[in-house]
Amino acid sequence: MADKTKLGMEFPPYTFEVEKGKIAEFAMAISQKESKDQVKAIYWDSAAAKAAGYGDIVPSPTFQTCFALWGGGGGLMPILQTLNINLGRLLHGEEEYEYLAPIHPGDVMTGKSKIVSMYDKEKKDKPGKFMEFTVLETEIRNQRGELVIRSRSTLVER
Amino acid sequence: MANITFASVNVGDAMPTFTSDPVTRTHMVRYAGASGDFNPLHHDETFVKMFGMPRVISHGMLIMGITGRAITEWIEDKSLRKFSVRFAGMTEPVDLHDFENTKQRATITVTGKVVEKFEEAGEKRIRCEIQAADGLGAVKINGSFVAALP
Repeated sequence: MADKTKLGMEFPPYTFEVEKGKIAEFAMAISQKESKDQVKAIYWDSAAAKAAGYGDIVPSPTFQTCFALWGGGGGLMPILQTLNINLGRLLHGEEEYEYLAPIHPGDVMTGKSKIVSMYDKEKKDKPGKFMEFTVLETEIRNQRGELVIRSRSTLVER
Repeated sequence: MANITFASVNVGDAMPTFTSDPVTRTHMVRYAGASGDFNPLHHDETFVKMFGMPRVISHGMLIMGITGRAITEWIEDKSLRKFSVRFAGMTEPVDLHDFENTKQRATITVTGKVVEKFEEAGEKRIRCEIQAADGLGAVKINGSFVAALP
């Protein structure tokens, strides 16, 4: 059961270095492909990305999910533990991204998350039983301190 | 990719329909490794049975990833300004030993339409509503995105 006293809590920042191979691997995963030449070249070929008007290789639109999950012992797992959320009952309710600046290989991203909302909703099929919602807002900045992505994730315990 | 411009797009226009391959357990394992989401709910059938579930379920974020791919098959990645989804249902993978009977529940079709054209932050932008559903019509994602167009 999510610990409601944690509303407003800010978590320690986590960092993630964007690697070219990870961008290609992620693009292949969401594209259900087994080799990188089956996905768009902007995800793995620097020259092709530049020819298409990008500064360099770019990640696919949901790549930043890696930052929290691979963020070197930081990221999502310690947050779930701090909140005392049961993994087996955890559902993902909503996810929202604002894209504010480009991401390229070699960038070092720092994510800072805080809990902006916690609430309960009664289950439609089980009166008296509640689903618990926790909304996490994360700001991701690059090594130059530029705000690159603002995200909001709604976690649900069923 | 077609060269989409703000002038060429009208409110009510449909985005090209995108259909995924049937999601397999192997796709989910690949996504787990790529994303770092190793929640056993997505790969370990002995774990999900403790919660009374018959089989593993896909990461919601894999379905959002497939939805993002559908969007960026239509507009350029660099045009995307905002992308938000609400997860409406779980997705079970295809069972390979019973492929024909289970492929529809694992095949994701993404549809969308332009609902607004506006100017913001000095850019010409469109807002589209999107939906991802399986081959049986069960909705997985309702969402929207905003893109800046030339």
